[in-house]
Formats: sequence, C-alpha cells, structure tokens
Amino acid sequence: MPVSCPHLFPAFGLALLFHGLAGAATLSVTVNDAAGRPLPDAVVMLEPVSGRLPVKPMTAVEVRQSARQFSPAVTVVTVGTPVNFPNHDTVRHHVYSFSPAKTFELKLYAGVPAAPVVFDKPGVAVLGCNIHDQMAAWIVVVDTPHFARTAAGPAQLAGIPPGPYRLKAWHPALPADMAPQATMVTLGTEDQSATMRLATRVTP
Amino acid sequence: MNRSEPLMQTLKGMTRRSLGVRIVLLFLGLLLAVQAVSFIAIRATIDRNARTSIAGSLVAGDHLLHRLLDQNAQKLIQGASLLAADYGFRSALASHDNDTIASVLANHGDRIGATVSALLDTGFALRAAAQPGLEELQPAIFRLAERAASAKPASEIVVLGRRPFQLVLVPMRAPVVVGWVLMGFPIDRPLMDDMRDLSSLHVSLQVRDHAKGEWRTAVSTLPPEAVPALEAHVADMPLQLPDGEYSSRQVTLSQGSTGEVTALLMRSVDEAVAPYRRLQLGLAALTLLGVIVFAVGSVLTARRVTTPIRRLAAAAERLGAGDYTTPLSGRHRADEVGELAQSFERMRMNIADQQQEILKLAYWDTLTGLPNRVRFRNAVTEATEAARTAGRSVAVVMLDLDRFKHVNDVLGYRFGDLMLKGVAERLVQQAVRGGDLVARLDGDEFAVLLADLDPANDQALAQAVAQRINQAMDRSLTLEDQAVDISASIGVALWPHHAADTDTLLSRAEVAMYSAKRHRDGPTLYDAKLDASSSQTLSLLTELRHAVDHGELRLYLQPKLGLDTARVVGAEALMRWQHPQRGLVPPMEFIPFAEQTGFVRVLTMWVFEQAAREWKRLHDNGLQLTLSVNLSTRDLLDQELPQKFEALLIRHTVPAEAFCLEITESAIMDDPERALGTLERLNGLGFRLSIDDFGTGYSSLAYLKRLPVDELKIDKSFVLSMERDLDDARIVRSTIDLAHGLGLTVVAEGVENAQAWELLRALHCDEAQGFHMSRPLPADEFLRWSMLWTARHAQPALPAGSGSDITVTLH
Repeated sequence: MPVSCPHLFPAFGLALLFHGLAGAATLSVTVNDAAGRPLPDAVVMLEPVSGRLPVKPMTAVEVRQSARQFSPAVTVVTVGTPVNFPNHDTVRHHVYSFSPAKTFELKLYAGVPAAPVVFDKPGVAVLGCNIHDQMAAWIVVVDTPHFARTAAGPAQLAGIPPGPYRLKAWHPALPADMAPQATMVTLGTEDQSATMRLATRVTP
Repeated sequence: MNRSEPLMQTLKGMTRRSLGVRIVLLFLGLLLAVQAVSFIAIRATIDRNARTSIAGSLVAGDHLLHRLLDQNAQKLIQGASLLAADYGFRSALASHDNDTIASVLANHGDRIGATVSALLDTGFALRAAAQPGLEELQPAIFRLAERAASAKPASEIVVLGRRPFQLVLVPMRAPVVVGWVLMGFPIDRPLMDDMRDLSSLHVSLQVRDHAKGEWRTAVSTLPPEAVPALEAHVADMPLQLPDGEYSSRQVTLSQGSTGEVTALLMRSVDEAVAPYRRLQLGLAALTLLGVIVFAVGSVLTARRVTTPIRRLAAAAERLGAGDYTTPLSGRHRADEVGELAQSFERMRMNIADQQQEILKLAYWDTLTGLPNRVRFRNAVTEATEAARTAGRSVAVVMLDLDRFKHVNDVLGYRFGDLMLKGVAERLVQQAVRGGDLVARLDGDEFAVLLADLDPANDQALAQAVAQRINQAMDRSLTLEDQAVDISASIGVALWPHHAADTDTLLSRAEVAMYSAKRHRDGPTLYDAKLDASSSQTLSLLTELRHAVDHGELRLYLQPKLGLDTARVVGAEALMRWQHPQRGLVPPMEFIPFAEQTGFVRVLTMWVFEQAAREWKRLHDNGLQLTLSVNLSTRDLLDQELPQKFEALLIRHTVPAEAFCLEITESAIMDDPERALGTLERLNGLGFRLSIDDFGTGYSSLAYLKRLPVDELKIDKSFVLSMERDLDDARIVRSTIDLAHGLGLTVVAEGVENAQAWELLRALHCDEAQGFHMSRPLPADEFLRWSMLWTARHAQPALPAGSGSDITVTLH
C-alpha cells in the first residue's frame, strides 16, 4: 500500500517571522493527524540542510517499567545517549527492540540492568516486552540539538539560527516501519510557525 | 340349532336395509368422515410442517455453515496469531532475510495445515510468501486489510486457483504492528462432511471466476452423478436431482474480484417428509383398525338392538296367527327392549285370556254350561267327517220344550232359567249315552249328537235314545218346591240317510221336531213329507200358489143351526182344493203344510174374501147369517191382519159383525200376548170371536176370561162320544155351563145324529154343526140348501136327517 507523502499545507505555508539580524528565531510547529486534528506528543526536529550540528549525548535518561507499562511512552534522546531501563515491577521484563535504529534485548531481568543501552544511531526504536505484549515505548534518537514535542499547543523550537533546515515530525501513531516525515524550512531571524500533517492511522 | 344361524339372520337382515344395516352404515360413515377430515387436515399440516421444517433446517444450515467457517477461521487465526507472536519469527523479520522469513512461513503453515501463508508489510503489500503465485490474492488482501484496519484479525473466503479458500489476516506486533501474517485453507470435503453430519443437509460449494461466469461445483456432498443436475439448476426453482426433489438455499460466501463462492444448502424433500409419511401410514393403519373395530362393534350393537326386535316381530306374528301359548323370550333384559318384551308378554297373556273367554262365549252356553249351537254344529261336522271315513253314521236328536214361553210368562224368567238348567241336567244325567254330546241350541231348544253309529241299526238306536229322552221329560221337574210338568217335542235325523251336510242334518232334525210338536205324537224320525223345504213340499207350495192364482180353490160352507129354533144361523167357511189331476184334495193334505210354511195367511185372506163375497150374495138373497172363518197361529201373529180384514170389509161393503173368527186354543197359547193384542183389535173392529176345538188345549180359565171372545166351540171329539161316554157328556155339559156362565155362546161340532141334537138341546147348547144337518157344501149349493131347509123348518123343529143329499127328515 503506497503511503501518501507528507506535505505542507499551502494555505499555511511557512510564515517566517524575522526579529533582527543577528538574533535567533523561534519556530513553532503544529503537527496534525491525517484528519487535520492537532496531535500532542508529536516529536519535531530541525536538521540543517547542510552538515550536521554537533550534539551532546544526554545523561540520566531512563525508561522505567512500572505497572507493566513503559514510562514514559515516548522518549526523545540525542545520538549516543545511554538509556537505562529500571524495572520497578515485581515481575521480570524482557525488553527488546527490533528497530533498525537500535536492535537490542534485555533478557528477563529485575531491578536495574547492569548497563544502559546506548542509542548511537538516529531513528526511532520501538521497545516492547517479550512477555507483556501490551507494553510499548518509543525512543526517538535525534541527531540535532533542535527538537521539541507538542503538547497542548505547538512545539516551540527556540534559538534557531537562520538558514535552511529539514523539519521532521514523528508521532507514535505513524506505522512502525515509516521514517519521520520531513519538510524543508528556511528560517530567518523572525519567529516562524509551521504546520505538519502526519499520515497517522486514524484511531479513535 | 346352528351357531351361525343368528349371524346369518343378521346378514340377511342387513341385505334388507334393515335397522341394523342403517346403524352400521351410520357408524362407519361417521367414522370415515371424521377420519377423512382429520386425514386431510393432518396431510395439510404435515405438508406445511415439512416445508417449514425444511426451510428452518436450511436456515439453520446457513447459520451452521457460517459457524463452521467461522470456527475454521478462528482456528486459522489462532495458528497465524501464534506465528505472528513468535519471538524467533519476529527476530527473523528484523533480520530482513526474506528467504528465512519464507521458510518460517512454510514451516508454520505446515504445522497448522494452511496451504497459503505469507507475510505482508504494514501497507499490506506482500513481503514474503511460502507459496508462489499469491499475487493474484492482492485484491482480496486489500479487502481483508480494510476490515483489519483496527489491527484485528480478519477472515475472508476467496477463490484461488478456481478453488474456494478461507484466508485470515493476523497482525504481527513488535509490539506495535510491524506487519501482517496471511494464512489460508482450502474449503474442502471434510468441512462439507461435517455439515452433512451435523445438519443432514447436502452442501455444494459453487464457484465462478467472475460475476457472469459459469458456476462450477468445487466440492459437494452429493454423489458425482448429481452434479450436472445441480449445475443446471436455476435459482428459485424446485431442485430436481436424480434421487428426488430438494429444497435449497443459496448462501453467498464471497463476491470477490477473483471469483464468487456460493454454498448451496440442500434438503431432500422426501427425506424431510419421510417421518411424517410414516406418521400418516400409522394413522391410516389406525383408521383401518378403527373401521374394523367400529364395523364389528356396530354389527354387534345392531344385532343387540335388532335381534330382540325381530324376536318381538316374530312373537307379534305368532300372536297375529293366533298362537297365544308360546311365552316371549328376552323378557328379562333391563333395557327398553326388555320393557317392550314384557308389555308384549302381558298383551299375549291378556289376549290369551280374552281368547279363552271369547271361545267360551262362542262355544258354550253360559246358563247351562252346555256347548252352544256353534260348538254343536262344529261337533256335528267333525262327527260326520269322522263317520265318512269310518263308514259309520251320525244321528242328531233335537228337542224343544213344550209351552216354555208359557212357563216364562207365568212363572217368570228366573224360573224359566232354572227349568232350562234342570232339563239340561236331566238330559246329561239320564237320557243320553256316555260320550253323546248334549247342547243347548237356543232358548228352550236342546240337541244331542249321537256319533259313530253302526249304519245297520242307527235308526233304531237313535229312536231309542229319543224315546228315552221323551220318558225322562215325562217325569215332572221339582224346582224350588214346585213340581213342574214338562214335555218336549223330539225330532231325529240321521246322516247320511237324511242329509249330506251338517246344516241340512240340523234343519232336518228341526223339521222332525216341529212335526212332533204339531202332531203331539212323540219322537219323530225325519221324513221328507214333513219337510216344508224338501223338494216334495216345494212343489206342493208351487202348486198351491198356482191353485190360488188359477181359481182351483173352492169355498165350502157348513151350516150352523140354532138348537132352539133349528134355523140356519150361520155357516163355517171351509176350503177345498179342486186339483186338476188329483181331484178334490182334502184339507188335511195341504192345510198343515200351509201353516208350516206361512202360506196359510194367503189362504186365510182368500177364504175371508170369498166368505165376504158369499155373505153379500146370501144377504142379497135375504139370508142373515154369520159366517165363521178360521184363523191360524200365523194369522194371529200377523200384526197387519186387522187392517187387511178391514180393507176387505170396506171393499165388499160388509159389516164386521157378520163374521165370526175361529181361533184354536193352541194358536193362542203359542204367543198369548201377541195373540191377545190381535184379537182385541179384531174385536174392536166388530168381529165376533170364537174359541175353536175348545177342551183339547191347555187354555186356562184366566186366559179365557181375558179373551174378548163371544163363542166357544166344543171339540167334536167330546160331542161324538158324548152318547157313549158319560165323562164326555159331563165335559160337554160343564163346558156349556161354563160358557154360559161367562156369557158366551156355545157351539157344538160333530153333531152326527138326532140323539146328539136332542141331547145338546137339552143341555141348552146354543148352536150345532155337523153331518146330521149338513156336510160342508159348495157355496152355490149352500144357498139352495138353506132356502130348502128354511122352507121345511118354518117352525121350530128337530132336524132329523143328514143334509148331504139335501133330504131333510123331520121328527
């Protein structure tokens, strides 16, 4: 089944707002689902079209397992960030990921695993528990310092120097084997806002 | 008695459309009508039920098929789900090694018996397959995917390689949906057989490649030879297969782009109706049994009803035929028929009693207890018939009491009855031989039957019996301290000497009896001469009529002279018959006969008319005479005699006083009351009346006193012997004195000589008649004789000579 290409709505286009020459601008991004409704918990990121910006691995990131759920469900980390998977449940878990971004498994364990898992490639890793099918979590590994998440409102990407960027958006509702949606934006000094529409599965 | 006879009678009765056959037909008819109605109703219900049941089973089959397919799908889904959840499989998937993935799919498909197994990506594109050629399934997969949008398993039936397949699509999660596992089974014979086992329906899966293509049978529970008929079947028409009619239901299982799948559910109508048919057969058998039971029952009932009725009918027939002796059977039943039989029985006994009573009344005399005339007549008939065969003879002795009316009148009817009883007793006890039948025929008439007589001496024997009866009657009967003299007139007749049949025999005996009564000469044997109805008397009667009509009769007059003056004072009118062949017939030869037959009345009228005519002539010749005319018993009993005489008086213009009517004592005594009535009327007309033959009868002085008579005529037997017999002379004298004492004129008959004349004159007798004066003279001569006599006896003198030669000698 061909998946429709994500695109920007022409009506909204890119409204780039400039605030002074030397200053950085803020890009606020609204992510909508296939039905046009704003999606919370969507992850947006900006990557410069040319080259890459240096990123620092994050520290003390953990995805806990409690009440047979991963928490948080969606975690955004920079490349090279080690993530710990402390098990707060009384039962053991078998955490795995078959995602190309990071394939691993933590065989049945209790408490905190001996070593954290380092996510060294950008992409989305879907985590599951082999013995609790209902458990699912996503770790979005970004290779840029500019990323944000939507909440009740748009995601705010602040302090972005002007220039052309690849704006990417991702949401757990996207099919597992689909890469984040990307679009090109050019930022000036003015604040801008952008809207992305994701080909999510329409779920109630 | 044959045991089967009642049944035969019943059957015979049936063929007559009797009550019995009507009962049987009614019962059977009603039963058959009810059975026919229920049979039709049941048949209709069965048909409806069968159709409903078939339709119901087809609907149920529809549900069952879907359920079975669903179960299959679930099984498949479970298998596929297991595969999709397999960690190793998921690991292999992560390896992106398509060959490995394909081998895993093949391996797993084999485990659960799937012939199709493939892996699809999240966009439902084929990623790996265990079998080649699954590309054609792609449209079906997308359709399945639409239904699997909520990441749930889905199933679908598709046509693959012209065979129906059941496909399932199961999501594969790691843990989110990372792909889909597709598995498929062919829908095959085992499933159909399951259907057949569970529902007793036949199932055929029909496939066609596209909407307008030819249906083809993919799999069927029907035998192969039925398949062509199935494929030729047009929807909505009754399905006709080689083994009968089927009801069918078409269930569309799939209408995909690769082809359509339809399940045809079929139910054999015959099979569905079979249990009902058995039920119907059972009902038919029950009906047959019921008919037989009803037939037997109603025949028995009809017999129970009709047999006693027939018995009653037979009894009624017997009663009608006069058999009152056979008692009725079946009287002890407690039902209505029993009551009827009892009523019949009472009727029978009542009729029998009445019959006996009637017989008694019919054949027995209630007063004397003797057989009556009818019984006697029957006995005579029987006796003559018995005698006819045995060559014997029969005699009847008949007797009639003399003067019984007189006894009745004087002493009363009660006494008369006692007398009859006494006579009956005496007859039975003393007079007859043992075995002779004594009967009371009528009033004072009795008869005795002497049967089985020897023809050689039958007359003598009969006369002996008659004589004995006569003697028995001679002795006086003592009744209530009163001695009554009885006597009877007895007649005897014999069969076959005097009569050929019973009635004739009886009437001949009666004739003999009346003759005896008339002549007072004891038991009389029948003789044809006695008999008014014999051929001899019949011819005499004819001749006598002829004599009257042709003037063969002559009037004779015998003069009556006054004893004191010797003058002719009158004459007695007498009759002579101048027979053309026999000459002058004496009165004794025809008068009794005329009296017996009643013809005497004609003669009396003739004499009276002639006397009237003669009187006129004499009167015209100057003679004032009284003419006497004799009246017989028959005349006295003739109520119209006075009118007839009066009419003649008027016609001939003669006075009644010119005639003296002479009546014998016995004529009066036969029926004194009626005689007296006639006499009084005659007296009223002015006729003089005279008692003739006085002294011979039994007339009492009491009667004499009551009778309106003017004259007594002393019987000539006294006068004739008066000169020799002193007693007779005394009687004559007494009679004359008696008559004078009663104020009557006395006439003496039979004066044949002068001594008698003188004697009578001395006794003061008033008139005399006799040969001494004159014989009876023809009327013409009488006038001459009278003239001459008168001329000679101008003075009172004694007539001295006989007048026959008209010579008168004077003393």
